[in-house]
Amino acid sequence: MFQPIMDQILTIARDAWAFLAGLLIVVALLGGLYYVLQGTAGAAFGGSRMTSMAIIGAVGLVILVLFAFLFLPQVGEMLKSFQPKPPF
Amino acid sequence: MSEATSFLLTFLREAWIALAGAFLAFALLAGIAQILRVSSAGLIGANLWVWESVSALAAIILLGLFAYLGVPQIVGALGSALPNGGGCGPISELGTLASGLIGGLAALRMLKATFTSILSASLGGASTFANALTECGEALFGMILAGAAIPLAAFFLGTC
Repeated sequence: MFQPIMDQILTIARDAWAFLAGLLIVVALLGGLYYVLQGTAGAAFGGSRMTSMAIIGAVGLVILVLFAFLFLPQVGEMLKSFQPKPPF
Repeated sequence: MSEATSFLLTFLREAWIALAGAFLAFALLAGIAQILRVSSAGLIGANLWVWESVSALAAIILLGLFAYLGVPQIVGALGSALPNGGGCGPISELGTLASGLIGGLAALRMLKATFTSILSASLGGASTFANALTECGEALFGMILAGAAIPLAAFFLGTC
């Protein structure tokens, strides 16, 4: 009875997932560029703190993206395996 | 009466399965939305926003576990504690129908509360974890009240 509605919702959710994943990649790339610029500028005029902050930021960004693309699907699989049958 | 009970419970079961599936999809969307928020907030140096998103992410995982592991256990426990109606005749059948419907509706209401929270988080809002728990508490309280009302109604109307 609810299957056609579910199919529609899942199609929308898949599109939204693709959109958000794409947006995350764009933001991460822009962020990476920003940190590279910050690191280079810091290195150019001897701002060691600026450079190290840029390196930490870039590493954090990579970890975040990996977290989003590796951890979230695993959480989804885990929740899928927990998906309960109607308890009534 | 038993046919009506079985029809209504089948309807509620299908709604449960659909809601559980949609819950999973929106939980994942909420997760990626919060991670996007963390990364963009980190880039612009908005510390508070980062912490909000991290806590929202933790709340999403907790809500998912609560909806998938906690709600069925709670409903199962309360459903088995609900009296099936005392007495005999139509009142007994009505009691069976009522206890089945109460269990089904309470289960759906709890899942709907967690789903609403997840939906809100996937749209970038607060995950309203507290609201979901409050609504679950209301549903539980309703089940307990109904559990007390069914034998009373059977006592006054259907004893034989």
